[in-house]
Amino acid sequence: MHPVPSSLEDVAIGGSACVADVAGDDATAIRLLEMGLTPGVWVRVLGQAPFGDPIELELRGYHLSIRRAEAARVLVEGA
Amino acid sequence: MEQAQRGESPRLTVALLGNPNTGKSTLFSALAGIPTRVGNYPGVTVEEKLGRFVYAGRTIDLVDLPGTYSLLPHGPDERVAVDVLHGRQPGVPQPDVAVVVVDATNLERNLFLVTQASELGLPLVVALTLADVSDRKGITIDGSELAQRLGCQVIRVAAPRGEGLDALKDAILVAGTSGRSSPLPLEHAAADAGRPAAARDAIARYALIERLLAGVVTRRFAAPLAEDRIDRLLTHRLWGTLVFAAVMLAIFSSIFWLAPPLMDLISAGMDTLAAWVGGLLPEGALRDLVVDGVLAGASGVVVFVPQIALLFFLIAILEGCGYLARAAYLMDRLLVGVGLSGKSFIPLLSCFACAIPGIMAARTIENRRDRLLTILVAPLMSCSARLPVYLLLCSGFVPNVAVGVPWLRLPAVVLAGMYALGVAVAAAVAWLLSRTLFHGPPQPFVMELPGWRWPQAAVVLERAREAAWSFLVNAGTLILAVSVVVWALANYPQNDDRIAADMAAERDSIAARLADPATPEADREELTVEQSLLETPEGLAVARKGAIQRHSILGRAGRFVEPIVKPLGWDWRLGCAAIASFPAREVVLGTLAVLYNLPPGDDDGTALERRLKAARWDGTDRPVFTLPVALSVMVFFALCAQCASTLVVIGRETNSWIWPAVTFTYMTVLAWLAAFGTYQVGTWLGW
Repeated sequence: MHPVPSSLEDVAIGGSACVADVAGDDATAIRLLEMGLTPGVWVRVLGQAPFGDPIELELRGYHLSIRRAEAARVLVEGA
Repeated sequence: MEQAQRGESPRLTVALLGNPNTGKSTLFSALAGIPTRVGNYPGVTVEEKLGRFVYAGRTIDLVDLPGTYSLLPHGPDERVAVDVLHGRQPGVPQPDVAVVVVDATNLERNLFLVTQASELGLPLVVALTLADVSDRKGITIDGSELAQRLGCQVIRVAAPRGEGLDALKDAILVAGTSGRSSPLPLEHAAADAGRPAAARDAIARYALIERLLAGVVTRRFAAPLAEDRIDRLLTHRLWGTLVFAAVMLAIFSSIFWLAPPLMDLISAGMDTLAAWVGGLLPEGALRDLVVDGVLAGASGVVVFVPQIALLFFLIAILEGCGYLARAAYLMDRLLVGVGLSGKSFIPLLSCFACAIPGIMAARTIENRRDRLLTILVAPLMSCSARLPVYLLLCSGFVPNVAVGVPWLRLPAVVLAGMYALGVAVAAAVAWLLSRTLFHGPPQPFVMELPGWRWPQAAVVLERAREAAWSFLVNAGTLILAVSVVVWALANYPQNDDRIAADMAAERDSIAARLADPATPEADREELTVEQSLLETPEGLAVARKGAIQRHSILGRAGRFVEPIVKPLGWDWRLGCAAIASFPAREVVLGTLAVLYNLPPGDDDGTALERRLKAARWDGTDRPVFTLPVALSVMVFFALCAQCASTLVVIGRETNSWIWPAVTFTYMTVLAWLAAFGTYQVGTWLGW
């Protein structure tokens, strides 16, 4: 049984997950892939902004911030 | 030609390409110094920056491309970089060599652009910046092995210290004579066959990068760096917010309080110059044009420079140390609800001091839609030029009564209300526009939070200098032209008979009101002052100036628009002042003073306040300024686009005259409607 992939939005602050896929094929999806959120990469959720959105990620040795709406499109495993 | 005669080899054009926050601007300054050309590429809002340097007898033209994460364009602005690299951008020669600036601390993501650049068919050189920081982080990069695998030279540079610059220049010359780089081969995974080509490529590029870096980069265990701890603090929900508030307060206070003394100094200098030039010229139309038209107009342009330079200085510091992105991160949620983004915050905040530096600061918003939307609502923030109007009318016509608690006075509440009105309307307009005119797919907010670094003095000073210079050259000349035209409209034609008749009529009306027993005592005092002033040469000169303005094209326009402004409760003089304030809002009080025959230097507010209180509708006893009228004037000024400089800057920054026209139209219509509503409701409530 494979675990059902959840999204990066569900990963708790301080937690890590492995990207399984980015949903959709629009410009946003392409941009997320270009920024390195490709399948197989490990991402750590570092924190969230004062109003709860956006969130701060660490991946490939750098820090990236994305909104929750985008994080919901990054499907992950092993959260 | 000269070079060809001396038998030297031709020029080399080099494109500087790289991700944002890689130290690309620092490298540009270190290589080429002050740019030879800075402007906008036609039709887009992308900055064009060219520089030149001579090395080993070769003249090298450096083209700085906007920082980009990918060569796959997501819009017209991003397409410019690709067009320049392919030699398709008119006016920019096809580059002979592309230098890709790569951040050594962030090699994986930076190499993404290198894999794309390898497909351009241009000779490549990789400039590895921030290698000292990566050393401290315990990251070791085998440069020669990386060069081997990439098939191009990799040069370590520390631009701020000038290290590696000559090696980079040598590499550029070598690359210019050697062949083009060959594309780095992508291997698409079979599992990705169903994806669009762009997605497939992106995944394959990162797979390639992982292979390229295997064995090239070694990470030693390193203790967590101070910068990571700083980052946790500054993006913390509580502490981060407090620091943010302090930083914003510091920025705002410096443009609100630090710039004015410099501005006063400039004004005083320009006044001295005007007085000196005025002394050289004989009295007459030419002197009026030079002193009151051109020099006063030039003064009105130069006076913006301190605020612009200061704001860009501060923004460059924030950008250089990595805080600008954090500020956008912290504020994004607040602004996204109305269709803006976190990056709109600093430009909009700056607009409370002055819309001009604020609109220029919108350059820091990469997203075209967010940037336009920010610019369109920026003039709704109440700038410091509106404050004197608010202060005069609040203190003069709003009853000084307590609201709820004894220390909270109504004038202060109204004043705060004017600021709140601007913000609320801006939010509503942004919300509306983002759902109508700017409706489209949601704009991704995918923003790097760059590492903390020390800002580079050369880059910071260059940003401030460049912003001030581009304002003077691009916008300043046009603003000057507009102010000279409006000055001419407010002072011509000059018909001596009419002016004499007007002055006599003013005198008679004062005498008539003094003779009228119904005139209240307070007005009588003011009228006596006015009458006795007309006996002095100074008072006569002012009265003449007022008469000239009343009979100028502008004055007649004021009477012409009276039917339009009457529903707002205004007389034609107010209409006139509103039109005359078009070159710059700060002249509105000066214009009112002239129209009400008040000598200059006396318009510190209290004299004007008394004069406005005594103002009557022509030929009646009805006071012009009542509470509803004062409120309607304030509401109008809070929302109107009566500032030619702002409109010119919007035109320059958006590279189109449609947007200033849109801004002027929507703001004027809104201002009129709101002022109309305020006056009518106020009158109906019997204020």
